[in-house]
Amino acid sequence: MAVRLAQEWLTICGGCEVTILDVGEPLLDILSKLEIVHMPVLMDHKLYGQTGENAQMEIPQADVGIISGGIRNEEHKHLAAEMRKKSKVLIAMGSCACYGGLPALANLSTVDDILEKVYHGSVSTESNGVPHEQIPALTDRVYAIHEVVPVDLKLPGCPPTPEVFVEAVTALLQNTPLILPGKSVCDDCPTIRERKTATALKRPLQPVEFTPGAPMDTVRCLMEQGFLCLGPATNSGCGGEGRTPRCIRAYMPCRGCFGPLADTANPMVDMMGALASVGVDTKQIPDRAATFNRFAGAQGRLRPVPTKGKMPS
Amino acid sequence: MNTDQDGFEPLIVALCCYWCSYTGADLAGTSRIQYPTNIRIVRVQCTGMIHPNLVIEALTGGADGVLVCGCHPGDCHYLDGNLRAKARAEAIEVMLQDFGLEAERFRLNWVSASEGARFAQVVSEMVEQVKKVGPSPYRVPV
Repeated sequence: MAVRLAQEWLTICGGCEVTILDVGEPLLDILSKLEIVHMPVLMDHKLYGQTGENAQMEIPQADVGIISGGIRNEEHKHLAAEMRKKSKVLIAMGSCACYGGLPALANLSTVDDILEKVYHGSVSTESNGVPHEQIPALTDRVYAIHEVVPVDLKLPGCPPTPEVFVEAVTALLQNTPLILPGKSVCDDCPTIRERKTATALKRPLQPVEFTPGAPMDTVRCLMEQGFLCLGPATNSGCGGEGRTPRCIRAYMPCRGCFGPLADTANPMVDMMGALASVGVDTKQIPDRAATFNRFAGAQGRLRPVPTKGKMPS
Repeated sequence: MNTDQDGFEPLIVALCCYWCSYTGADLAGTSRIQYPTNIRIVRVQCTGMIHPNLVIEALTGGADGVLVCGCHPGDCHYLDGNLRAKARAEAIEVMLQDFGLEAERFRLNWVSASEGARFAQVVSEMVEQVKKVGPSPYRVPV
């Protein structure tokens, strides 16, 4: 019997759905065992009946539910609850669903400040007031899915790699447990650490030193070369079969999309501590909160900063 | 505890190293030296083990200040633990801005085992400077 799959997207760019298409040949094996019952990106299944005739939101019963994207408004909250109710196994797919993702950078500002900036404050805006009719209200901040409804499995990544997705779905179809590595990117990184030295920080677009064509284990650790690499504070798993992390393979420093190593960890504090103890002048790092929590702003990691000893209301 | 600005009594977490400052605090006690009761001392093996997340967690969890005390440079039982703490303290001071906290809420001082009076003085100064900046914005009202 085919496994019934429901998929819903919330605050999302659509990149996670592209990952599913990017699976390639293994997708053919998987698809024959799946029956997709709800997936806004692929099929025309409306939430309130095809002509909007129903009063209740309706997502069909499914064995596996996948949610991509975090929660930004009341409709998302409603959808996440409905998905939880109808799915036996619920998967949070992508960094937005797991940790808030890029949209959670907005957690640095209060909702009032955001609305003020977007609908009144910006120079090019002709103010017509904040729209309020026929649209769902914003939540007070961006939430990861598991902050609102319980989630059975988290597949992080921006977007998750096709390998991780296939591994997860295959494990579900074969009813075997899926074990994510739980190691840091540095554990899987083949570059060489020569010694702990303080270097001047480089900007991400400056060239990394490497010999073209030479294997990765001849390249010097990007952090030691002076690039801000989030490897020490980021979950591994993006490398797939070869295990070499994706961005490192392209000679780019890790940006932290697989999220922090523990739910309670704050990558900014971890990275600042690590950088300080290798002698980097931490004052040089621009926009620290957003740089180190680029993909992990939910779960209280990014929040409006108090001014003059008072929390913004 | 009163959170009213006038009668404000700060709650300060003091992380003291086992070899020097905790013994220094002990000496302050056995010598009957008076100092404010606003601090709660946590003994750590070495200031070199105080990762910034311990300090940041205390501050964002509602502590009004964090005081870190270790051996004088050159006196560290583990040779360079206190120098590590100093490097991390700089990162902590930078991060205080990111969390919207005043620089006065964090302090790193060297207190040796024989400096009971100095410990009392450091604590008094710390309590005084935190009283000036007022209650932590992260403090949960009771």
